[in-house]
Amino acid sequence: MKVRTPEGDKIDLLTVNIGPSHPATHGALRAFVALDGETVSGAVTEIGYLHRGFEKMVEQGTYQQVLPYTDRLNYCSAILNNIGFCTAVENMFEVSIPERTTTLRVLLSELSRIIDHEVCVAAACVDLGALTNYWYMFNPREDVYAIWEKLSGARLTNAFSRIGGMYRDTYEGFEDDVAKVLVSIEKGLDDAFRLLEHNRLFIERTRGVCGFTPAQAIGFGWTGPCLRSTGVDRDLRKDEPYLGYETYDFQTVVGTHGDTYDRLMVRMYEMRESLSICRQALGRLKPGPINTDDARLALPGHDKAYHDMEALINHFKLVYDGVRPPAGEHYGATEAANGELGFLVVSDGSGKPWKIKVRPPCLTQFAAYADMVEGSLVADAVACLSSINIIAGELDR
Amino acid sequence: MSAQPAGPGQAPTPATDELRQEFRTRVFQVLAQTFQAELEPADRWGLTVVLPGSRLRDAVAFLRDSEEFRLDMMVDITAIDYLGYPGHDQARFAVVYNLKSTAYAAHRLRLKVRVEEESASVPSVHDLFAIANWQERETWDQYGIAFDGHPDLRRLLNHIEFVGHPLRKDYPARKRQWLSTNDPLVAPLDARLRGRGFEVLEGAGLNSPTVEETGLLGKPSVEKINVVGRHK
Repeated sequence: MKVRTPEGDKIDLLTVNIGPSHPATHGALRAFVALDGETVSGAVTEIGYLHRGFEKMVEQGTYQQVLPYTDRLNYCSAILNNIGFCTAVENMFEVSIPERTTTLRVLLSELSRIIDHEVCVAAACVDLGALTNYWYMFNPREDVYAIWEKLSGARLTNAFSRIGGMYRDTYEGFEDDVAKVLVSIEKGLDDAFRLLEHNRLFIERTRGVCGFTPAQAIGFGWTGPCLRSTGVDRDLRKDEPYLGYETYDFQTVVGTHGDTYDRLMVRMYEMRESLSICRQALGRLKPGPINTDDARLALPGHDKAYHDMEALINHFKLVYDGVRPPAGEHYGATEAANGELGFLVVSDGSGKPWKIKVRPPCLTQFAAYADMVEGSLVADAVACLSSINIIAGELDR
Repeated sequence: MSAQPAGPGQAPTPATDELRQEFRTRVFQVLAQTFQAELEPADRWGLTVVLPGSRLRDAVAFLRDSEEFRLDMMVDITAIDYLGYPGHDQARFAVVYNLKSTAYAAHRLRLKVRVEEESASVPSVHDLFAIANWQERETWDQYGIAFDGHPDLRRLLNHIEFVGHPLRKDYPARKRQWLSTNDPLVAPLDARLRGRGFEVLEGAGLNSPTVEETGLLGKPSVEKINVVGRHK
């Protein structure tokens, strides 16, 4: 296309589609860009390639049947989504969950956060041509998946949390496995740090690239590591504590420039904080019940269901009709790996959700993508895209 | 005890039930006086207020800029379709604006505007919050509620050939629709370049056909595709 630049020069711009199916987009995203040489003069984005109607489908079944759908939002950290959804619904029941479950949820959340950040940082490094970090980070991540598999039977889509508890208790030797994996994660992380932190190639490719100011980030509704990279100290685990996060000793990690370097480094340091939370949670994990005994949520045990008519009816109603939150509207949010993951739940008092709206943290970041990359180089636009960690599953729902 | 706002680079005071309650009482008092806001009793766990659509933009701008409330982040915009909701006797739709503050951890508020099925439109707030542009596009796509003054009200998640609005309660969950092409992005890219000070002299010629050129707009109908048989 022919254009006249703001400076008055007549130039030819080359239009290029980046995506929807491109290795650098890490999912089905499309950016349509106009290039002046290697510089992005203008960009527009299109999403929806992975839209599967999450919000329509969850209205068709019971509240319990929503859980496997939440796995498919941010599939790099499925357990965080499970816990976020369960927490929102539990808030509506105003039910308290057993201590073992709270601690277990914190432990699993932080492990999920670590493997999610590892995907982001390792993949971003691969996009920059730094392949070694990938092996250092993905090997321990594989060990975490082995734990998930032992725990829930699935690697990626765990559906491990339940409204009012967990799917089941941990297996024998779980604590040892976690303790071991924390050591290997830390080793991989330290190795990656040594490769990246003072690496001139890495710094020159990322520092000052596609930066965002705090005002821009807030205007675009950014949350999570991307918002913190601009210097805004907001983290739901600290600001609006849930699952007893206020009792854990950890720091929020805040950047200064909001550029690609900061976005990746905030995630790197956050993994260290998460490791520390995991260790604290592991120390607190005491034997105990994992499901609430509130009859509105919990299935009666087999001994009761087989011998007591009331318990049998309760079991039947919970499975067939679903749990019934009080009629009303509630927004519950938790800090997922990419930021604030919110569920707006509208209940009509029946066992089927009237409406569940997901507030996906990715959407706000990708909405700003065109603004971030205009004026930068194509190669930097790719690095920028991997640093905001777009997961098409939650972006498109 | 009131919390101090968080300055640049500072963490806000963590939210407590007292701080939340204090904020809710205060903000509702102000909104009721100035913007004819009413309490939404359905939100039993937080604070949702119902506003007349005509006061929405003023209220959002006021809450964003007010030193006392600083609701400077649009967390989400969505709508609710109440068609068939037990005991519901108000307008069919409500558009919900979910706001929070980055300076005060306890400040969260949802605004609600009731929308009749016939008019199905509310004023756009895209110029007050950059993210509202996409959030309003999504709400238009899913519910068919128009945002007056929105510069580019295209579908966000569904494709350009999609007919209807899937999250409306009268849209069948199992309905499938045909897709034959990518969304055309040439015109939006031109607009984007113009917004950045470029003058577009000759647009991009692309070899992908427009929707009209494919001749597939609205057909073949879903029922005619064999694959769909298994969903019956």
